[in-house]
Amino acid sequence: MIAIDKLCYNSRLRYENAGEKSAFAVITLCICVMSRSIAVAGVVLAVTGILTVKKGGVPVFRYLKFLTIPLAFLLLSTLAILFHIKREPLDLFAIPLGGWYLTAGTDSFFYAVQLVFTALAAVSCLYFLSFTTPMPDILEVLKKLHCPALLMELMLLIYRFIFILLDTADAISTSQSCRLGNRNYRTALKSFGLLGSALMIRAVQRSGRLYDAMEARCYDGRIQVLSESRPPRKKVIAWIILFDGALLIFAIWRRFFS
Amino acid sequence: MKHLKDEMILKAEDLYFSYDDDHNHSLNGLSLEIKKGRKIAVMGANGSGKSTFFLCCTGILRPQKGRLYFQGEEYRYDKKSLLKLRSRVGIVFQDPDNQLFCASVYQEISFGILNLGVSPEKAREEVERIIDVLEITPFRHKPAHALSGGQKKQVSIADILVMHPDIIILDEPAAALDPKHTRMVNHIVEQMTEAGITVLMSTHDVNYAYEWADEVILFQEGRVLLQASPMEVFSNEEALKATNLEAPAVLSLFETLCRKGILSPSLKTPRNLAALERYLEETK
Repeated sequence: MIAIDKLCYNSRLRYENAGEKSAFAVITLCICVMSRSIAVAGVVLAVTGILTVKKGGVPVFRYLKFLTIPLAFLLLSTLAILFHIKREPLDLFAIPLGGWYLTAGTDSFFYAVQLVFTALAAVSCLYFLSFTTPMPDILEVLKKLHCPALLMELMLLIYRFIFILLDTADAISTSQSCRLGNRNYRTALKSFGLLGSALMIRAVQRSGRLYDAMEARCYDGRIQVLSESRPPRKKVIAWIILFDGALLIFAIWRRFFS
Repeated sequence: MKHLKDEMILKAEDLYFSYDDDHNHSLNGLSLEIKKGRKIAVMGANGSGKSTFFLCCTGILRPQKGRLYFQGEEYRYDKKSLLKLRSRVGIVFQDPDNQLFCASVYQEISFGILNLGVSPEKAREEVERIIDVLEITPFRHKPAHALSGGQKKQVSIADILVMHPDIIILDEPAAALDPKHTRMVNHIVEQMTEAGITVLMSTHDVNYAYEWADEVILFQEGRVLLQASPMEVFSNEEALKATNLEAPAVLSLFETLCRKGILSPSLKTPRNLAALERYLEETK
């Protein structure tokens, strides 16, 4: 998560309008999921990949590494779709187990492959968004979509404080290690417990102080801040419409006419 | 008399405050007066009540006994009066991580001024101006968690300055800063004074306080031990001893040089090292 955060702040697409990027990611994602087609998923995977890596400047190797994270889950869950245990063998292969067969059919094989590709393409859409758009910008988009204020404020605070919490945890854990707190399994377990309770106490103290500081700046129960959004560009919008329109037509053609 | 009263910006009368009800008093009958446009250094050991007093000044804490006045008006603790007070009295907290709650620098700075009910256009203008004045531009697009300690400090000062308060309280602004950022903060403080803002700063740096302040207030166990000009405070050995402070290096050195007959005691006491050096250059 921290790695993604660093990447998106350094992305070359960071200063593009966040609304454009979100619209592109979400529309493409929807078309991809609804099309149920390997070809469409392949196109989406390629386009978002090229955008994130080439345009955004994320190193190829790291991007591929990030894609393998959901891949592990996907492969495991598709195993269940692929393999069947039946009395009669299916057409792809069959391994006899006593009176039963561990077997798979061509249909279910293609279905599993399609599922893996679609899911991967969907993830790549979200990766495109999260590798190019910092969290505060995404919050701006949600605000424009009239997401409830309370939710927005929570997200704003949580996002900031995840990093403070991690820093604090890191500092405590280092100081524990310096005093041999992780010498063996027993002490490590104990240290971890102490870390948890120390973090809890710090978090409560910090929230009190933060509230004081906000009050000192005339906080009246609503967090209002200015955003620095960049105006959307017509050219980019045209490209998004063009691409997603073409993708939609392609998806419909694959689904119904081929 | 009326003129004097106009000049007074903050006044505390016999304040008592305790975090745990009557056992340990953090403020123990504290009284002081602060004049408008002054540069005031608040000094004293850890736990002598400086931070507690500051929180009382912005109305975050309410003293259990005693009175506070802002520009002659007594503090009131209803919501409207508090908001009004806090728009006039700004406080920069010691740990920026307790103050900065937005991941984006721009959003962070805009929070305070928007709370004043300023229009977004005007607020935008002010935020841009303060980003420029405090030299935040090079890192304005970085997330808060990627800023260095000094940069966070700059942002936390900008947070308050953008609200144009009459008085700014800085709680150990130079704590944990490198020399470059300390200089930068000191420079910002100079600019505040030039803009007519009263500055109240707690610090442990006697040399800086001696050079910078118009007035030094020594806190001891929740009371004011001494409030006077830096010259008076730092030549009062008893008071320094009681608050675990040392005399500024320049002052000690000047006294020794006078005693040895190298410099004449009739010279004006130097406020900083440069002035003392000049004296020495002139002697031979």
